[in-house]
This record gives sequence, structure tokens and C-alpha cells, in this order.
Amino acid sequence: MRDLKPWLDLIFKRPGRLVVGGFLMLATLLSGIGLLAVSGWFITETALVGLLLAAGLAATINLYVPGGAIRLFAVSRTVFRYIERVYNHDTVLRLLTDIRVALFRGLSRAGRIRRGELSGAQWLSRLTSDVDALDTLYLRLIAPTALAGLVTILVVVLAAVLFDIGTALLVGLLLVIALVIATAGVYLVTRRLAARQSDRQEELRTAVIEHIEGFSELTAAGRTGKHAAWLMRTAHQVTSEQVKADTRVGWHLAGSHLFVNLSAVLALWSGFALFQSDSVSGPVLVLLPIALLGLAEVYAMLPDAFGKLGATVACAKRLNRDCHEDKQPAPPIGSELPPKTALLAENVAVKYDGYTPLFTRFNLVIGEGERIGILGHSGSGKSSLANVFAGLSPLSQGSLRRQDCAYLTQETVLFEDTLRANLLLGSPEASDTELWSILEQMELAGRFATEPDQLDTWLGSAGSRLSGGEARRVALARVLLNPAPLVILDEPFTGLDAKTRARVSKQMEAILAGKTVVSLAHGSEALPGTDRVIYLGG
Amino acid sequence: MAKPRANRGGESVSATDQRAIKEWLAHLARGSRFWIRATLAAGIVAGVATIIQMILLARIIHLGVIEEAPVAGLLPFFLGLILALAVRALGQGFQARFAARCSEQVRRQARRQLHKHWQATGPVELGQSSAGTLAREWIDHVEALHGYFARFLPQMTLSMIVPVLILALVFWLDWLAGTFLLLSAPLIPLFMALVGMGAEKLNQQHFETISRLSGQFLDKVRGLTTLQLFGQTAGAAELIRKRSDHYRRITMKMLRVAFLSSAVLEFFASVAIAVIAIYIGFGLLGYITYGPSEDLTLFSGLLILLLAPEFFQPLRTLSQHYHDRAAALGAGNEILARLDSPVSRESSSEMASVEGAEDRIELRSVNKSFQPDQWVLRNLTLTIQKGEVIALTGPSGGGKSTLLHLLAGFMAPDAGEIHLFGQAPGSFRFGWLGQKGFLVQGTWADNLRLTTPDASDIAIETALRNVGLGSLLDSRQQGIYSPVSEEGQGLSGGQARRLSLARIFLADYHLILLDEPTAGLDSDSEVFVLEALHKLAVAGKTLIFSTHHQALLALANRVLLVSSGEVRDA
Repeated sequence: MRDLKPWLDLIFKRPGRLVVGGFLMLATLLSGIGLLAVSGWFITETALVGLLLAAGLAATINLYVPGGAIRLFAVSRTVFRYIERVYNHDTVLRLLTDIRVALFRGLSRAGRIRRGELSGAQWLSRLTSDVDALDTLYLRLIAPTALAGLVTILVVVLAAVLFDIGTALLVGLLLVIALVIATAGVYLVTRRLAARQSDRQEELRTAVIEHIEGFSELTAAGRTGKHAAWLMRTAHQVTSEQVKADTRVGWHLAGSHLFVNLSAVLALWSGFALFQSDSVSGPVLVLLPIALLGLAEVYAMLPDAFGKLGATVACAKRLNRDCHEDKQPAPPIGSELPPKTALLAENVAVKYDGYTPLFTRFNLVIGEGERIGILGHSGSGKSSLANVFAGLSPLSQGSLRRQDCAYLTQETVLFEDTLRANLLLGSPEASDTELWSILEQMELAGRFATEPDQLDTWLGSAGSRLSGGEARRVALARVLLNPAPLVILDEPFTGLDAKTRARVSKQMEAILAGKTVVSLAHGSEALPGTDRVIYLGG
Repeated sequence: MAKPRANRGGESVSATDQRAIKEWLAHLARGSRFWIRATLAAGIVAGVATIIQMILLARIIHLGVIEEAPVAGLLPFFLGLILALAVRALGQGFQARFAARCSEQVRRQARRQLHKHWQATGPVELGQSSAGTLAREWIDHVEALHGYFARFLPQMTLSMIVPVLILALVFWLDWLAGTFLLLSAPLIPLFMALVGMGAEKLNQQHFETISRLSGQFLDKVRGLTTLQLFGQTAGAAELIRKRSDHYRRITMKMLRVAFLSSAVLEFFASVAIAVIAIYIGFGLLGYITYGPSEDLTLFSGLLILLLAPEFFQPLRTLSQHYHDRAAALGAGNEILARLDSPVSRESSSEMASVEGAEDRIELRSVNKSFQPDQWVLRNLTLTIQKGEVIALTGPSGGGKSTLLHLLAGFMAPDAGEIHLFGQAPGSFRFGWLGQKGFLVQGTWADNLRLTTPDASDIAIETALRNVGLGSLLDSRQQGIYSPVSEEGQGLSGGQARRLSLARIFLADYHLILLDEPTAGLDSDSEVFVLEALHKLAVAGKTLIFSTHHQALLALANRVLLVSSGEVRDA
């Protein structure tokens, strides 16, 4: 439960909205209970007066107050319900924003190595569903629980005022039992099942993906049936755990409902004793049990939410883990560099746990203004080296010092945003003229000048409206705009045909004048101009 | 603005598709008829127990207040009331239990259908879709059916039955009050349509907004490293806030309208209760001189009042579950699209008219095309002797892979016959090595026993050493019982392919088909693969592989050139 704390804190940063939302829910509920209770009171009163009138006795009844109350409650229930739904959905969307922004900040502070492991599509979709679980925490869990507690107290007080303390305490006892069954009870019996669900499902997903990737081999070996049967069994296990949890929630809902109803029966029973001793009138006798029956509505919201609480806590735990800040010190940059040196790697080793080191005792001095090319075939650790230079990967040994750098990663990363926003990431203050000039040099100006939105052209999902080569050149332009004195380019020309590559490479010379450039590629034809080339073996 | 992301559950589905999806859902429901009926029965028991509970409550109050019966005399009624409450709770509990069982069975059935389709489709066609997509269909889309079968479907029927029972009882008690109820819900189907339309629109719009929002958010998370490299994370966080806020305002505008439809239901329910309460009150006072109100008693009046909310409750519950229906329709749409996709591979057992010789592979007048008038293989007749090592070479797209797929039985020829050692393709076990190696999470032994379950530890280790994975194995502490990938680091492409090759070594197949076994391999892996293939060839296996690799061509004792529909010896 401790895992929920940071997220609860975030939710409670909007106390005003939460209280107003809670009040609206309360008003809706009380209107509903009031409508039925006053109606019950009214009918009993009129029945009694009716009998007197029929017997020819004089009797009076105030029709205006109960009649007015009934009409008022009928309207207020509808109005409050509508306002409550609109208002609380607004709150949920606001909380969603808060949670996303907080999560994003948390992730951006978290260690890069962790995120390297967790960046696939699967992780992203899990992240989405984890956030979704948290943003309904208020509306599904916190508000209904608070509401149920509050209304229970109100009804018990009402019982004490209308009936007597003894009845009130007994009714209170039954309601507390109902409340515990609907909340803590459900949570305790479903906690483990619910917390496991998501992990189980991810394991299953991995197994299914493996099954499909190995489908040819399994088919050839005549094993698809057997392997599929195993998959079905695993899936069935996941489902049957869910069925178990659902069934438990169902029984708790029924149980809590039973105790609410029993409290109404109890109120009626002890009410009769008071009625016969003339301590309460007939109409009042009817009012309390009916009000108690109305409580079932708010209690009914709880078991389902508490049945999911175990899963929600697991979501919070995962998100907290993803946001966990690394203790890894940032690689030292800049200051202590010897003069005229842009990058200095001394005795550097890069090693992943459980594997032979990629590099050991790697030494490199790059002077200011030098053009270094690093060549190596795929798998030679080229990109790992670039990541180390840029400070994205930790060193397992040695030291690395360098000037500020701009880094073009091997993967082209563009955002779902305008061309301008994508370029400005490299240099937030750049003017439109500068942007057009760099586009011109990347041979992209013509491409975007014909677009109706020019610099505000929207680059769709993951830059999908651009061809691979165009996207690469936009990413390259962004790095070239950056004023950092050291530029690291990992496979800068991916997706560019030979002619374009040659022209772009030539244009880059002017832009990069005076800067230090480290370019990495699989072959010399994919490198821009270099003074010196290093070959990576292995 | 960004375009809505990939089609997810809840987005609009055309009318004809909807009908097909509903038919499919109904078909699934028929398979779990027993549990659906049990769910309904439990729901009806709970509903009837509720009615009895209200009757007893009204009776007790009437007897106690009007007839002033002694408390002791009411005891049997109280006991009956508690019994009714217990039955109601049991009914509710069993309803949840049976509903969960029903949905469990439906999901299993849907998964089985999908897998059967995968098998019928065959590995080649299946490879057209990403494994992630297929897994999403098999897991998430099938899960989306849960709410529909566990909640919506039973509630749909219950919301017809229970209100009708209540209405009948109220009519019997007082037809005017019954008329009020009926008028407030003019026609239940109309009401439901109203609720449905609102809920559907709401759900659809909500879904779109949510997926757009998460799209924006995920886009930034995906590019977090880039943002960090440029020191722009703070700006991006602000942008997420602004965009989310923008979407929130749009959504709220829509929700204000969409919520009106459920407010209408709420309004009718409240007004009906108020009208009935006031009518009964005035009737009991004797102010109403027409109609059935003269016969009203506290019992009948109170009972009608208590039943009125129960009359509307099933409809309200149904409207809460409406999103389950939309989710199931959305998911059903994608599952059906998969199930309706053409199956290219005919059942290979049907072609098993055994007549070829047992010592050779024979292809007779085989034709295969993927587009009309473009033959990938035309009128191909070919004989391969047992134990031969055949290299298929030729331009890419020339039909090498197609020929391998036909021999493997992964697809069927358009015309002609294929016999492998007197048997139909795919009717016996053989070795296949695709361009991507395949491994499962688990130990080395798990991975090799996947295709040869009864292999001994020694055989497994030998097979792994045969493909040059011995040194990797030695570096792991538990030998073949250590996990293949540790610390989240997988094998390289070459190592994975060698692992697949080790499976072939272990299984001792007569026929081994390999698609470009050395393409894209680093030089280490290449050497090991070549060596391994050589060992297999020496062992007398029939090897057929496609390749451009010189060393592999040299390994073959026959090289076939596959080009523009023809196959000839090179």
C-alpha cells in the first residue's frame, strides 16, 4: 500500500475539486435516499390519516412539506447526478494530466540504463494501462469509500435521534460489517490474485510471441499442437485466477448487500418495539428502514473497486520502480580537459553483466576540430561506444571526459509534432531563417516549402509521413542546429541514396566547420569526411 | 493534430460488420449456453427474492402499523424476510460466479478458434502480421469479451425479465400506478436504445480521446533519451500538460451532452417514484375518487413504492455495462477480421495420396502464383534423391523461398503434386531453419526439448557443441540448465540461429530445409553454421537450402538455379 502514497499525494493536491466532487456525490445519494424515505413516511402518514378520515374522525395532514420534499428530491437527484458526473469526469481528466506529467518527470530523472531495458512497445503499453489504473483511483475508490463512511455515520445518527441509541449501535454494527466485507474483505481475498494478473499476462504474452516467432520451426517439427496446448493451459490458468477473483468479489458484494438489508430488518424489528410503546410514530418507523435500503447503492460500488486495488497497487509499484532514480554519477564533462582536446577516454571498459566485455583498456584522444571516423560491422559495439561517448551508457572502468556534445543516435527519433517543434529541440532559439537554411542544406527545403503548413507541417506517428531518408535528415538537421562543440553521428546517412548522401555530406562540411566530429558507420562510404579512421575489431 | 492511433476497441464499426460480429458473439454464446442459462437463473432468483423481500417488508409494516399486530405475531414474517434476503444474496453470488465461468469458457473457445486459424493459415501467411499484433488479438482482444459475457449479456436479458415481473405485480396491485411506471419508461426497448446511443457515443469519444492522449504521452516517453540529450525534458513535460488540458476541454464539451441521455433515465426514474408516492398518498387519503385508488392500503401502497426503484435498477445497471458491449464489438471486429482472412494452406493430409517413391522427393507440374499471370513457379517438375545436398540459388524474389515453403507444406501449390519420400509435404517431421532463429525464455535444455521432448542431457550438450555454442555454455554456471538469456541480454542473431540449428541436430530428421542459413551472420557464426551443415550432409541427411554464399554452394552436390518461374541445374 505504501507504493500508492506518491500517487495519492498527487491526487490530494487538488483538495478543492475532490471535496466538491465528493459533496456532489453525497448530495445525489442523499437525494435518492431522501426521495424514498420521505415517500415511505408520506405514504404511511396518509394511510393512517386516511383510516381516521374514513372512520369519520377529524384529522389533519400537512401535504405541502412532504409533497414539496418529494418533488425537490426527485429533481435534485437528477440534477446532482448530472452535475456530479460532469464535474467528476473533469476531475479524472485533470488527474490524468497530473499523473502523466508527474510520471514523465519521474521517468526523465530515472536512470537511462533501466529505461534501455524497458523501452519496447510492450513496456509502453503496460505503462499506459498502469497510468489508467491510477487515474480512476479517486472516482472508483477514494470518493465512494469516503461517501459510504460518511453516509453510514449520518444514518446511524439518524437512527439514534429517531429511534434510540441501542438500535443505532446495532444498526451501526451491521453496517460496519457490510462496509468491511465490501472493502478490506475484498481487498484481502483478491490482493494476491489481482497483483499477479498483470505479470501473468505479460508472461503469457511473451510465450505467445515466442510461439508465433517459432511457428515455422514448430510446424516443421510437428509440435505446434503440443506447444499450443501448453499455451492454452497457461492462458487458462490466468483466466481461471481471474474467475476466482471475480467470484470472490461477487460473493462479497452479495454479502455486504445482505448485511445492509439485515440492518433494515433490524431497524424495523426494534422500531416495532418502540412503536408499540408509542416512542415512535408509524411514519417514522417506516422512514429509517427505507433509508437503510437506499444505502445498498453506495455500498455496491465498493467491492469491484477493492477487488482491483491489488492490481492498482502493483501498477503503482511498477511505475515507482520505473521512475527510480539511479545513483550512477553523471559522467564528468568538460572542465578538466587538457587544452585543445575535445574528448579524452582513458582505460575505458564497457561490459554488460554476464557477458564478455565489449571493450577493455580503450584509450582515445580527440583534438579540437578533428574529424574522427569509427568503422565496425554490426555487432562490433559501435553504438555502445557512441552511447558511452554521449554519456548514455555507464563505464565499468576508466574515465571519460569530453566537451558538450550533440548526438545523433542510430535510431531516428522524431516526435508527433510539427517540423518546427522537432527542429527546435536542437536549438530552442533558432529563427525561422536558420531553420529554412538548415533544411536547405539537408535538401529538405523543397520538400516542406510545398507543404501548406510549411514549418508547421505535422510529422505523424513516429515521423511516419516522412520517408526513412527524409526522417533521418530531419534528425540530422536537429543535431547540426545544436551549438555543442562536439558532434557524435552514429550512421548519419541511414536510408539515403548514394547521390543524396554525397551532396548532404558535402553541405555538412560548412556547418560543422570548427566543430569536432566523431562519426560511426559500418562502412567508409557511410561516413562524412574524416581526418582519421578507427577500425573496431571483434 | 495527430491522427487517431491504431484501431482499438470501441471505435466505430460499420453496420454490416456489426451484424457479423453480433452473429459471432451469439455463436460463442451458444457454446456456453449452460453457464449463460445458469447466470440468468441465478439473476432471476435474486430478482424474485427481491420482490418477495419487498412484499414481506410492506406486509410487516402494514400489519404492525395499521392492524397493530403484536411483534411476536410478526416473527414468522420476519423469518421469511431474512430467508428472502439470504436467497437474494445467494442468487447474487451465484450469478457472479456463473457469469465468470461463462466468460471463462467463451474466452477459451475464442482462443481455440484463433489458434486453429493460425494453424490453417500456416507459418508463411501468418508471418505477414507481426507477432505483437497476433499476441494482442489472442490475449487482449479475447479478454475484452469478458465484460460482454460476464456482465452485459446476462444483464440485457435480466433487464427485460425483472422489470416485467415487477410491472405485472404493480398492475395487479393498482393499475393506475402500473400505468405511471409504464409511461415513465414508455417502451423499454426505446429507453434502452436511448441509453445505448448515449453510452456508445460517449464510449467511442472517450476512447478516442484517451488513445490520442496516451499516444502523445507515449510518443514523448519513447523519445525521452533524445529529449534528455537536448536537455528539453522540462519543456516536453509542459507540452504534455498543455495538450492534455486541451483534450480535456474538448472531451468535456462532448461529455456534457453525452451525459444528458443517462440524466433522462435518471429523471424519469425519479419523477416516476415521486408521482407514484404522491398518487398513493392522495389515494390513501381518499382524495382521489376515480380509478382503483379506493382499494389502496398501506401494504399495496408501500409495496408499489418499494418496487418502483427496483423496476429501474436493472436498466441503470445495464447502462453502466454498456461500455462492455462496445469493447466486445471493437475486439470482435478485429478477431473476426483475422478469422475471415483467407487460408492459403489446404489441409495437407487431404493430399496424402501416397504414390511417390520412398527414396526421393518428386515435384510434378507444380504451379504457384501470388498474383494472376505472374508465376513464381511454373510447370515445375523436379526429382531430388534422398541424401542429396541441394543449393537453390538465383535472384531474390525468384522463387527460392516459395519452393522451400512448398516442400515444407507451409503453402499448397496451385496445381501439381509434391511427394516427399512417398509422403505429402508437412505430414512428417522435418528440420526447418528460417532466417530468424527462435528461442523461448527458459534454459538451454527447455529450448532444445521444445522440439525433441525426450532428449537426454548429453545429447543436448552435444548438439549445442556441434553448432559452436559450447564456449557460451561453458561460461554459464549451470550448463544446459542455465537460462539462455541472462540480465535481459539476448543472444545475437547468429547465436539464435545456431540454437535453432542445434534443435535440428538433436532431432535427427531425414529432411532439412534451410532458408538462407548464412545470410546476415557474423563471420564466427558463419563458420559454425557451415561446419554444422557439413556434418549433417556427411550423416546422410537430405539438405535443401537457398543461398548465395559461395562456401555453401560448394557444399552442395547439386546447385539449382531458381529464376522467373523456372528451375534448372546451374
